[in-house]
Amino acid sequence: MSADRPQHKSFPWIRTFIGAAVLGALIVLGAQVFENQLHPVKAGETPPPRVPGAVFPTDTFDGKDVQQPINYSHKLHAGDLGINCLYCHTYARRSRVAGIPPTAKCMGCHTVVAEDKPEIQKLTAMWKKGESPAWNKVNDLPDFVHFSHERHLQKFLLNNEDMNIKDSPDVCAMCHGDMNTVGVAKKMKPLTMGFCVTCHEKNNGPADCTRCHK
Amino acid sequence: MPSLLGNIFKSWSDYSKGNEEGGFHKYEHMYAMAIDLNKCTGCNACSTACYAENNLAWVGEERFGARQAMNWMRVERYFDEPNIGNETSDSLDHGASFLPMMCQHCSAAPCEPVCPVAATYHTVDGLNAQIYNRCIGSRYCANNCPIRVRNFNFYDNAQTAWPAPMDQGLNPDITVRSKGVMEKCTFCIQRIRGASDTAKREGREIQDGDIQTACQQTCPTSAITFGDLLDETSKISKAWKRQQVELGVYKQNKENPEMRGYRVYEELNIDTKVLYLERVREV
Repeated sequence: MSADRPQHKSFPWIRTFIGAAVLGALIVLGAQVFENQLHPVKAGETPPPRVPGAVFPTDTFDGKDVQQPINYSHKLHAGDLGINCLYCHTYARRSRVAGIPPTAKCMGCHTVVAEDKPEIQKLTAMWKKGESPAWNKVNDLPDFVHFSHERHLQKFLLNNEDMNIKDSPDVCAMCHGDMNTVGVAKKMKPLTMGFCVTCHEKNNGPADCTRCHK
Repeated sequence: MPSLLGNIFKSWSDYSKGNEEGGFHKYEHMYAMAIDLNKCTGCNACSTACYAENNLAWVGEERFGARQAMNWMRVERYFDEPNIGNETSDSLDHGASFLPMMCQHCSAAPCEPVCPVAATYHTVDGLNAQIYNRCIGSRYCANNCPIRVRNFNFYDNAQTAWPAPMDQGLNPDITVRSKGVMEKCTFCIQRIRGASDTAKREGREIQDGDIQTACQQTCPTSAITFGDLLDETSKISKAWKRQQVELGVYKQNKENPEMRGYRVYEELNIDTKVLYLERVREV
Protein backbone atom coordinates (compact mmCIF):
# COMPACT_ATOMS: atom_id res chain seq x y z
CA MET A 1 0.00 0.00 0.00
CA SER A 2 1.59 3.30 -1.07
CA ALA A 3 2.15 6.13 1.40
CA ASP A 4 0.11 8.83 -0.37
CA ARG A 5 -3.12 6.75 -0.09
CA PRO A 6 -5.27 7.82 2.90
CA GLN A 7 -5.19 5.20 5.61
CA HIS A 8 -7.99 4.53 8.04
CA LYS A 9 -6.64 5.75 11.36
CA SER A 10 -8.13 3.38 13.90
CA PHE A 11 -8.51 0.31 11.69
CA PRO A 12 -5.90 0.11 8.93
CA TRP A 13 -7.04 -3.33 7.67
CA ILE A 14 -10.55 -2.15 6.81
CA ARG A 15 -9.86 -2.24 3.05
CA THR A 16 -8.78 -5.86 3.22
CA PHE A 17 -11.87 -6.81 5.21
CA ILE A 18 -14.22 -4.99 2.89
CA GLY A 19 -12.50 -6.60 -0.08
CA ALA A 20 -12.84 -10.06 1.44
CA ALA A 21 -16.50 -9.44 2.24
CA VAL A 22 -17.25 -8.31 -1.31
CA LEU A 23 -15.40 -11.33 -2.72
CA GLY A 24 -17.36 -13.67 -0.44
CA ALA A 25 -20.66 -12.11 -1.43
CA LEU A 26 -19.72 -12.46 -5.11
CA ILE A 27 -18.89 -16.13 -4.64
CA VAL A 28 -22.20 -16.81 -2.91
CA LEU A 29 -24.21 -14.89 -5.50
CA GLY A 30 -22.28 -16.53 -8.33
CA ALA A 31 -23.05 -19.93 -6.86
CA GLN A 32 -26.74 -19.00 -6.85
CA VAL A 33 -26.64 -17.97 -10.50
CA PHE A 34 -24.73 -21.13 -11.41
CA GLU A 35 -27.24 -23.22 -9.50
CA ASN A 36 -30.13 -21.59 -11.37
CA GLN A 37 -28.40 -22.30 -14.66
CA LEU A 38 -27.93 -25.92 -13.70
CA HIS A 39 -31.58 -26.37 -12.76
CA PRO A 40 -33.47 -23.65 -14.60
CA VAL A 41 -36.92 -22.87 -13.26
CA LYS A 42 -39.30 -22.43 -16.15
CA ALA A 43 -42.35 -20.31 -15.45
CA GLY A 44 -45.73 -20.49 -17.08
CA GLU A 45 -46.90 -23.22 -19.44
CA THR A 46 -46.33 -26.62 -17.89
CA PRO A 47 -47.87 -29.63 -19.63
CA PRO A 48 -50.01 -31.90 -17.46
CA PRO A 49 -47.76 -34.43 -15.73
CA ARG A 50 -47.58 -37.85 -17.33
CA VAL A 51 -47.30 -39.38 -13.90
CA PRO A 52 -49.35 -37.34 -11.42
CA GLY A 53 -47.50 -36.60 -8.22
CA ALA A 54 -44.10 -37.22 -9.78
CA VAL A 55 -41.49 -35.26 -11.67
CA PHE A 56 -40.87 -37.03 -14.96
CA PRO A 57 -37.16 -37.39 -15.83
CA THR A 58 -36.43 -35.76 -19.16
CA ASP A 59 -32.95 -37.11 -19.95
CA THR A 60 -32.68 -39.34 -22.98
CA PHE A 61 -30.08 -41.75 -24.28
CA ASP A 62 -29.56 -43.10 -27.75
CA GLY A 63 -28.73 -46.73 -27.11
CA LYS A 64 -27.28 -49.14 -29.59
CA ASP A 65 -29.51 -51.63 -31.33
CA VAL A 66 -29.36 -54.93 -29.50
CA GLN A 67 -29.43 -58.13 -31.52
CA GLN A 68 -32.10 -60.48 -30.26
CA PRO A 69 -32.80 -64.08 -31.24
CA ILE A 70 -36.31 -63.04 -32.28
CA ASN A 71 -37.13 -59.57 -33.56
CA TYR A 72 -39.79 -58.90 -30.95
CA SER A 73 -41.47 -55.55 -31.52
CA HIS A 74 -42.57 -53.57 -28.49
CA LYS A 75 -44.24 -51.10 -30.84
CA LEU A 76 -46.54 -53.80 -32.21
CA HIS A 77 -47.40 -55.50 -28.93
CA ALA A 78 -47.45 -52.64 -26.43
CA GLY A 79 -48.12 -49.75 -28.78
CA ASP A 80 -50.50 -50.91 -31.51
CA LEU A 81 -52.14 -53.82 -29.73
CA GLY A 82 -52.09 -52.09 -26.35
CA ILE A 83 -50.96 -55.02 -24.24
CA ASN A 84 -50.11 -53.83 -20.74
CA CYS A 85 -46.41 -53.87 -19.79
CA LEU A 86 -47.25 -55.83 -16.67
CA TYR A 87 -48.94 -58.58 -18.64
CA CYS A 88 -45.58 -59.89 -19.82
CA HIS A 89 -43.23 -58.32 -17.27
CA THR A 90 -45.26 -59.79 -14.44
CA TYR A 91 -42.63 -59.68 -11.75
CA ALA A 92 -42.11 -55.92 -11.90
CA ARG A 93 -44.92 -55.35 -9.41
CA ARG A 94 -43.69 -57.79 -6.81
CA SER A 95 -39.96 -58.23 -7.18
CA ARG A 96 -36.68 -56.49 -7.85
CA VAL A 97 -36.56 -57.59 -11.48
CA ALA A 98 -39.23 -57.03 -14.10
CA GLY A 99 -38.61 -60.45 -15.61
CA ILE A 100 -38.83 -61.87 -19.10
CA PRO A 101 -42.03 -63.80 -19.78
CA PRO A 102 -41.73 -67.56 -20.15
CA THR A 103 -42.13 -68.92 -23.66
CA ALA A 104 -45.40 -70.44 -22.53
CA LYS A 105 -46.82 -66.95 -22.19
CA CYS A 106 -45.83 -66.10 -25.77
CA MET A 107 -47.36 -69.36 -26.98
CA GLY A 108 -50.57 -68.57 -25.11
CA CYS A 109 -51.39 -66.25 -27.99
CA HIS A 110 -49.11 -67.45 -30.73
CA THR A 111 -50.55 -70.94 -31.04
CA VAL A 112 -53.49 -69.20 -32.71
CA VAL A 113 -52.17 -65.75 -33.67
CA ALA A 114 -49.80 -64.91 -36.54
CA GLU A 115 -48.48 -68.44 -36.87
CA ASP A 116 -47.46 -67.87 -40.48
CA LYS A 117 -44.86 -65.17 -39.75
CA PRO A 118 -41.23 -66.31 -39.92
CA GLU A 119 -40.31 -64.94 -36.48
CA ILE A 120 -43.22 -66.76 -34.89
CA GLN A 121 -42.21 -69.94 -36.69
CA LYS A 122 -38.75 -69.55 -35.11
CA LEU A 123 -40.44 -69.20 -31.72
CA THR A 124 -42.68 -72.21 -32.32
CA ALA A 125 -39.68 -74.32 -33.32
CA MET A 126 -37.95 -73.34 -30.06
CA TRP A 127 -41.11 -74.06 -28.07
CA LYS A 128 -41.41 -77.53 -29.60
CA LYS A 129 -37.80 -78.30 -28.74
CA GLY A 130 -38.41 -77.09 -25.18
CA GLU A 131 -35.99 -74.18 -25.48
CA SER A 132 -36.47 -70.53 -24.66
CA PRO A 133 -35.08 -67.64 -26.69
CA ALA A 134 -31.78 -66.44 -25.21
CA TRP A 135 -32.65 -62.75 -24.99
CA ASN A 136 -29.79 -60.29 -24.69
CA LYS A 137 -29.83 -57.74 -21.91
CA VAL A 138 -30.80 -54.20 -22.88
CA ASN A 139 -30.88 -52.20 -19.66
CA ASP A 140 -28.08 -53.47 -17.45
CA LEU A 141 -27.23 -51.89 -14.12
CA PRO A 142 -23.83 -52.47 -12.53
CA ASP A 143 -23.48 -55.27 -10.03
CA PHE A 144 -23.15 -52.90 -7.09
CA VAL A 145 -26.53 -51.25 -7.60
CA HIS A 146 -29.65 -52.45 -5.84
CA PHE A 147 -32.69 -51.45 -7.85
CA SER A 148 -36.15 -52.71 -7.03
CA HIS A 149 -38.85 -52.48 -9.70
CA GLU A 150 -41.40 -53.25 -7.03
CA ARG A 151 -40.57 -50.22 -4.85
CA HIS A 152 -40.79 -47.86 -7.80
CA LEU A 153 -44.06 -49.30 -9.10
CA GLN A 154 -45.51 -49.17 -5.57
CA LYS A 155 -44.73 -45.48 -5.34
CA PHE A 156 -45.65 -44.30 -8.81
CA LEU A 157 -48.34 -46.75 -9.93
CA LEU A 158 -49.87 -49.06 -7.36
CA ASN A 159 -50.04 -46.67 -4.39
CA ASN A 160 -50.61 -43.61 -6.58
CA GLU A 161 -54.29 -42.73 -6.38
CA ASP A 162 -54.26 -40.74 -9.61
CA MET A 163 -52.89 -43.64 -11.60
CA ASN A 164 -54.68 -46.60 -13.07
CA ILE A 165 -52.96 -49.91 -13.74
CA LYS A 166 -53.66 -49.19 -17.44
CA ASP A 167 -51.26 -46.24 -17.23
CA SER A 168 -48.27 -48.48 -16.53
CA PRO A 169 -46.50 -47.46 -19.82
CA ASP A 170 -46.22 -43.91 -18.48
CA VAL A 171 -44.55 -45.10 -15.28
CA CYS A 172 -42.24 -47.51 -17.11
CA ALA A 173 -41.33 -44.69 -19.51
CA MET A 174 -39.72 -42.79 -16.64
CA CYS A 175 -36.70 -45.08 -16.82
CA HIS A 176 -37.18 -47.01 -20.07
CA GLY A 177 -38.43 -44.35 -22.45
CA ASP A 178 -41.50 -44.87 -24.60
CA MET A 179 -41.13 -48.54 -25.36
CA ASN A 180 -44.34 -48.57 -27.37
CA THR A 181 -42.64 -46.50 -30.07
CA VAL A 182 -39.57 -48.67 -30.72
CA GLY A 183 -39.29 -52.00 -32.47
CA VAL A 184 -36.71 -54.25 -30.89
CA ALA A 185 -35.99 -52.93 -27.42
CA LYS A 186 -33.08 -50.57 -26.89
CA LYS A 187 -31.79 -48.42 -24.08
CA MET A 188 -33.46 -45.01 -24.18
CA LYS A 189 -32.57 -43.48 -20.83
CA PRO A 190 -29.02 -43.06 -19.52
CA LEU A 191 -29.60 -45.01 -16.25
CA THR A 192 -26.49 -43.47 -14.74
CA MET A 193 -26.10 -42.54 -11.10
CA GLY A 194 -26.68 -38.89 -12.02
CA PHE A 195 -29.94 -39.84 -13.71
CA CYS A 196 -31.08 -41.79 -10.65
CA VAL A 197 -30.02 -39.17 -8.12
CA THR A 198 -31.62 -36.28 -10.01
CA CYS A 199 -34.93 -38.12 -10.07
CA HIS A 200 -34.57 -39.12 -6.41
CA GLU A 201 -33.99 -35.49 -5.45
CA LYS A 202 -37.00 -34.27 -7.38
CA ASN A 203 -39.31 -37.02 -6.21
CA ASN A 204 -38.07 -37.22 -2.60
CA GLY A 205 -36.50 -40.63 -3.00
CA PRO A 206 -34.01 -41.88 -0.42
CA ALA A 207 -30.60 -40.21 -0.61
CA ASP A 208 -28.60 -42.58 1.57
CA CYS A 209 -25.80 -44.42 -0.28
CA THR A 210 -26.64 -47.84 1.13
CA ARG A 211 -30.25 -47.65 -0.03
CA CYS A 212 -29.04 -48.30 -3.57
CA HIS A 213 -25.44 -49.47 -3.30
CA LYS A 214 -24.48 -52.88 -2.11
CA MET B 1 -35.31 -22.41 -0.17
CA PRO B 2 -34.31 -25.31 -2.44
CA SER B 3 -31.09 -23.80 -3.70
CA LEU B 4 -27.40 -24.08 -3.12
CA LEU B 5 -27.45 -21.21 -0.62
CA GLY B 6 -30.39 -22.81 1.16
CA ASN B 7 -28.53 -26.10 1.33
CA ILE B 8 -25.49 -24.35 2.78
CA PHE B 9 -27.59 -22.72 5.50
CA LYS B 10 -29.41 -25.97 6.23
CA SER B 11 -26.25 -28.04 6.57
CA TRP B 12 -24.74 -25.27 8.63
CA SER B 13 -27.60 -25.20 11.08
CA ASP B 14 -27.73 -29.02 11.18
CA TYR B 15 -24.02 -29.09 11.88
CA SER B 16 -24.12 -26.49 14.63
CA LYS B 17 -27.15 -28.15 16.19
CA GLY B 18 -25.42 -31.54 16.13
CA ASN B 19 -22.38 -29.96 17.68
CA GLU B 20 -24.42 -28.47 20.54
CA GLU B 21 -26.34 -31.65 21.21
CA GLY B 22 -23.25 -33.84 21.09
CA GLY B 23 -23.61 -35.68 17.84
CA PHE B 24 -26.08 -36.93 15.31
CA HIS B 25 -29.35 -38.10 16.79
CA LYS B 26 -31.68 -38.71 13.89
CA TYR B 27 -31.10 -42.45 13.75
CA GLU B 28 -34.03 -44.40 12.36
CA HIS B 29 -32.66 -47.70 13.62
CA MET B 30 -29.65 -48.69 15.63
CA TYR B 31 -28.72 -52.20 14.64
CA ALA B 32 -26.62 -54.00 17.20
CA MET B 33 -25.57 -57.48 18.13
CA ALA B 34 -25.02 -59.54 21.25
CA ILE B 35 -22.82 -62.64 21.36
CA ASP B 36 -22.93 -64.99 24.32
CA LEU B 37 -19.44 -66.46 24.63
CA ASN B 38 -20.77 -69.01 27.10
CA LYS B 39 -22.71 -70.54 24.26
CA CYS B 40 -19.98 -70.20 21.64
CA THR B 41 -18.25 -73.49 20.87
CA GLY B 42 -15.82 -72.04 18.35
CA CYS B 43 -17.18 -74.16 15.52
CA ASN B 44 -16.61 -71.47 12.85
CA ALA B 45 -20.05 -72.01 11.33
CA CYS B 46 -20.71 -68.25 11.53
CA SER B 47 -17.59 -67.54 9.52
CA THR B 48 -18.55 -70.14 6.92
CA ALA B 49 -22.06 -68.75 6.65
CA CYS B 50 -20.59 -65.31 6.11
CA TYR B 51 -18.46 -66.64 3.26
CA ALA B 52 -21.54 -68.10 1.60
CA GLU B 53 -23.85 -65.15 2.18
CA ASN B 54 -21.56 -62.27 1.32
CA ASN B 55 -19.65 -63.70 -1.68
CA LEU B 56 -16.37 -63.74 0.21
CA ALA B 57 -13.49 -64.99 -1.88
CA TRP B 58 -11.35 -67.77 -0.54
CA VAL B 59 -7.77 -66.94 -1.22
CA GLY B 60 -5.76 -70.07 -0.50
CA GLU B 61 -3.35 -70.99 2.24
CA GLU B 62 -0.46 -68.81 1.13
CA ARG B 63 -2.42 -65.57 0.97
CA PHE B 64 -4.25 -66.46 4.15
CA GLY B 65 -0.86 -66.72 5.86
CA ALA B 66 0.07 -63.32 4.42
CA ARG B 67 -3.00 -61.85 6.17
CA GLN B 68 -4.80 -61.32 2.89
CA ALA B 69 -7.77 -63.48 3.84
CA MET B 70 -11.21 -62.16 3.11
CA ASN B 71 -12.90 -63.37 6.26
CA TRP B 72 -15.34 -60.73 7.44
CA MET B 73 -15.87 -62.74 10.57
CA ARG B 74 -13.11 -64.62 12.31
CA VAL B 75 -13.23 -66.73 15.44
CA GLU B 76 -10.36 -65.71 17.66
CA ARG B 77 -8.87 -68.25 20.01
CA TYR B 78 -7.51 -67.40 23.43
CA PHE B 79 -5.71 -69.85 25.70
CA ASP B 80 -5.35 -69.57 29.41
CA GLU B 81 -1.82 -69.53 30.70
CA PRO B 82 -0.74 -73.01 31.77
CA ASN B 83 -0.10 -73.93 35.38
CA ILE B 84 -2.76 -71.71 36.85
CA GLY B 85 -3.98 -73.46 39.95
CA ASN B 86 -1.69 -76.42 39.38
CA GLU B 87 2.03 -75.84 39.55
CA THR B 88 3.06 -79.28 38.35
CA SER B 89 0.93 -79.28 35.25
CA ASP B 90 2.62 -78.54 31.96
CA SER B 91 -0.54 -78.68 29.93
CA LEU B 92 -3.41 -76.29 29.61
CA ASP B 93 -6.08 -76.55 32.22
CA HIS B 94 -8.76 -75.58 29.76
CA GLY B 95 -9.23 -75.60 26.06
CA ALA B 96 -9.37 -72.37 24.13
CA SER B 97 -11.82 -69.56 24.66
CA PHE B 98 -13.43 -68.32 21.51
CA LEU B 99 -14.42 -64.84 20.43
CA PRO B 100 -16.17 -64.29 17.11
CA MET B 101 -14.87 -60.98 15.84
CA MET B 102 -16.35 -58.94 13.05
CA CYS B 103 -16.85 -55.25 12.28
CA GLN B 104 -18.26 -53.76 15.48
CA HIS B 105 -20.04 -50.91 13.64
CA CYS B 106 -18.64 -48.37 16.06
CA SER B 107 -20.76 -45.27 16.60
CA ALA B 108 -17.56 -43.24 16.73
CA ALA B 109 -15.78 -45.30 14.11
CA PRO B 110 -12.08 -44.51 13.66
CA CYS B 111 -12.25 -45.64 10.03
CA GLU B 112 -14.77 -43.01 8.97
CA PRO B 113 -12.95 -39.69 9.40
CA VAL B 114 -9.77 -40.96 7.71
CA CYS B 115 -11.39 -42.01 4.43
CA PRO B 116 -10.31 -39.46 1.83
CA VAL B 117 -13.36 -40.05 -0.36
CA ALA B 118 -16.01 -40.69 2.29
CA ALA B 119 -16.57 -44.22 1.05
CA THR B 120 -17.20 -45.35 4.60
CA TYR B 121 -19.74 -43.44 6.62
CA HIS B 122 -22.52 -43.88 9.14
CA THR B 123 -26.01 -44.51 7.87
CA VAL B 124 -29.23 -43.51 9.58
CA ASP B 125 -29.63 -47.20 10.42
CA GLY B 126 -26.61 -46.89 12.72
CA LEU B 127 -24.50 -49.00 10.38
CA ASN B 128 -20.94 -48.33 9.39
CA ALA B 129 -21.40 -48.62 5.65
CA GLN B 130 -18.78 -49.28 3.00
CA ILE B 131 -19.59 -48.05 -0.50
CA TYR B 132 -17.49 -50.19 -2.81
CA ASN B 133 -17.85 -48.18 -5.98
CA ARG B 134 -16.66 -45.08 -4.18
CA CYS B 135 -13.67 -46.72 -2.51
CA ILE B 136 -10.30 -45.89 -4.07
CA GLY B 137 -8.31 -48.35 -1.97
CA SER B 138 -6.20 -45.98 0.10
CA ARG B 139 -6.40 -48.48 3.01
CA TYR B 140 -6.36 -45.68 5.59
CA CYS B 141 -9.48 -47.13 7.18
CA ALA B 142 -7.91 -50.55 7.71
CA ASN B 143 -4.86 -48.96 9.28
CA ASN B 144 -7.01 -46.93 11.63
CA CYS B 145 -9.22 -49.82 12.67
CA PRO B 146 -8.19 -51.03 16.13
CA ILE B 147 -9.96 -54.35 15.67
CA ARG B 148 -8.42 -55.22 12.28
CA VAL B 149 -11.63 -56.31 10.64
CA ARG B 150 -11.31 -54.59 7.29
CA ASN B 151 -10.16 -56.72 4.38
CA PHE B 152 -8.52 -55.34 1.30
CA ASN B 153 -8.75 -56.96 -2.12
CA PHE B 154 -5.08 -57.16 -3.02
CA TYR B 155 -5.86 -59.44 -5.94
CA ASP B 156 -8.63 -59.82 -8.42
CA ASN B 157 -10.16 -62.57 -6.35
CA ALA B 158 -13.28 -62.71 -8.48
CA GLN B 159 -11.26 -64.29 -11.29
CA THR B 160 -9.78 -67.07 -9.21
CA ALA B 161 -12.01 -67.75 -6.23
CA TRP B 162 -15.02 -69.15 -8.02
CA PRO B 163 -14.07 -71.38 -10.96
CA ALA B 164 -17.11 -72.42 -12.98
CA PRO B 165 -19.63 -73.68 -12.01
CA MET B 166 -19.07 -72.33 -8.50
CA ASP B 167 -19.84 -68.79 -9.64
CA GLN B 168 -23.44 -69.94 -10.02
CA GLY B 169 -23.61 -70.09 -6.23
CA LEU B 170 -22.86 -66.40 -5.71
CA ASN B 171 -25.43 -64.34 -3.88
CA PRO B 172 -27.07 -61.98 -6.38
CA ASP B 173 -28.08 -59.54 -3.65
CA ILE B 174 -24.53 -58.43 -3.01
CA THR B 175 -21.79 -57.44 -5.39
CA VAL B 176 -18.54 -59.27 -6.03
CA ARG B 177 -15.87 -56.80 -4.98
CA SER B 178 -13.13 -56.06 -7.44
CA LYS B 179 -9.41 -55.55 -6.95
CA GLY B 180 -8.37 -52.52 -4.92
CA VAL B 181 -11.51 -52.23 -2.83
CA MET B 182 -11.85 -52.42 0.93
CA GLU B 183 -14.59 -54.62 2.32
CA LYS B 184 -15.93 -55.59 5.72
CA CYS B 185 -18.91 -56.93 7.62
CA THR B 186 -22.08 -55.04 6.76
CA PHE B 187 -24.39 -56.66 9.34
CA CYS B 188 -25.90 -58.35 6.25
CA ILE B 189 -27.21 -55.10 4.79
CA GLN B 190 -28.87 -56.97 1.92
CA ARG B 191 -31.06 -58.74 4.46
CA ILE B 192 -31.83 -55.48 6.25
CA ARG B 193 -32.81 -53.93 2.92
CA GLY B 194 -34.86 -56.98 1.99
CA ALA B 195 -36.71 -56.88 5.32
CA SER B 196 -37.41 -53.18 4.93
CA ASP B 197 -38.74 -53.76 1.40
CA THR B 198 -41.03 -56.51 2.69
CA ALA B 199 -42.18 -54.30 5.56
CA LYS B 200 -42.98 -51.46 3.18
CA ARG B 201 -44.88 -53.81 0.87
CA GLU B 202 -46.98 -54.92 3.81
CA GLY B 203 -47.33 -51.33 5.03
CA ARG B 204 -45.77 -51.75 8.45
CA GLU B 205 -42.60 -51.01 10.35
CA ILE B 206 -39.75 -53.50 10.60
CA GLN B 207 -40.41 -55.80 13.52
CA ASP B 208 -37.98 -57.52 15.80
CA GLY B 209 -36.95 -60.82 14.23
CA ASP B 210 -37.54 -59.72 10.63
CA ILE B 211 -33.83 -59.42 10.11
CA GLN B 212 -31.53 -62.31 10.75
CA THR B 213 -27.88 -62.06 9.91
CA ALA B 214 -26.23 -65.04 8.23
CA CYS B 215 -24.04 -65.78 11.25
CA GLN B 216 -27.00 -65.58 13.60
CA GLN B 217 -29.04 -67.88 11.42
CA THR B 218 -26.27 -70.44 11.25
CA CYS B 219 -25.05 -70.42 14.85
CA PRO B 220 -25.92 -73.92 16.16
CA THR B 221 -26.08 -72.76 19.77
CA SER B 222 -27.96 -69.49 19.06
CA ALA B 223 -25.17 -67.49 20.66
CA ILE B 224 -25.81 -64.49 18.42
CA THR B 225 -28.69 -62.04 18.81
CA PHE B 226 -29.30 -59.23 16.35
CA GLY B 227 -31.80 -56.41 16.34
CA ASP B 228 -32.68 -52.77 16.67
CA LEU B 229 -31.56 -51.00 19.85
CA LEU B 230 -34.05 -48.16 19.37
CA ASP B 231 -36.91 -50.64 19.58
CA GLU B 232 -37.51 -50.91 23.33
CA THR B 233 -39.19 -54.30 23.07
CA SER B 234 -36.61 -56.02 20.90
CA LYS B 235 -34.58 -58.94 22.21
CA ILE B 236 -31.36 -57.09 21.65
CA SER B 237 -32.29 -53.99 23.63
CA LYS B 238 -33.51 -56.22 26.47
CA ALA B 239 -30.19 -58.06 26.40
CA TRP B 240 -28.26 -54.79 26.53
CA LYS B 241 -30.39 -53.51 29.39
CA ARG B 242 -30.09 -56.77 31.29
CA GLN B 243 -26.31 -56.52 31.08
CA GLN B 244 -26.41 -52.79 31.94
CA VAL B 245 -24.38 -51.87 28.90
CA GLU B 246 -25.19 -48.61 27.20
CA LEU B 247 -24.18 -46.88 24.00
CA GLY B 248 -22.18 -43.69 24.31
CA VAL B 249 -20.50 -44.65 27.57
CA TYR B 250 -16.82 -45.50 27.55
CA LYS B 251 -16.70 -46.90 31.05
CA GLN B 252 -19.77 -48.86 32.01
CA ASN B 253 -21.09 -48.15 35.46
CA LYS B 254 -22.17 -51.60 36.50
CA GLU B 255 -24.26 -52.01 39.60
CA ASN B 256 -23.94 -55.75 39.68
CA PRO B 257 -20.42 -57.20 39.44
CA GLU B 258 -21.87 -60.48 38.21
CA MET B 259 -22.98 -58.93 34.94
CA ARG B 260 -21.15 -60.62 32.08
CA GLY B 261 -21.67 -58.05 29.37
CA TYR B 262 -18.82 -56.02 27.92
CA ARG B 263 -17.79 -54.41 24.69
CA VAL B 264 -14.32 -54.62 23.20
CA TYR B 265 -12.06 -51.57 23.36
CA GLU B 266 -14.48 -49.57 25.47
CA GLU B 267 -11.59 -47.50 26.76
CA LEU B 268 -10.89 -46.22 23.23
CA ASN B 269 -14.34 -44.63 23.24
CA ILE B 270 -15.16 -45.97 19.80
CA ASP B 271 -18.60 -47.01 21.02
CA THR B 272 -18.86 -50.46 19.49
CA LYS B 273 -22.26 -51.99 18.90
CA VAL B 274 -21.50 -55.63 19.64
CA LEU B 275 -22.09 -56.78 23.18
CA TYR B 276 -20.10 -59.80 24.31
CA LEU B 277 -21.18 -61.89 27.27
CA GLU B 278 -18.14 -63.15 29.11
CA ARG B 279 -17.48 -66.85 29.40
CA VAL B 280 -17.85 -68.25 32.89
CA ARG B 281 -15.74 -71.22 33.93
CA GLU B 282 -15.17 -73.32 36.95
CA VAL B 283 -11.68 -72.68 38.20
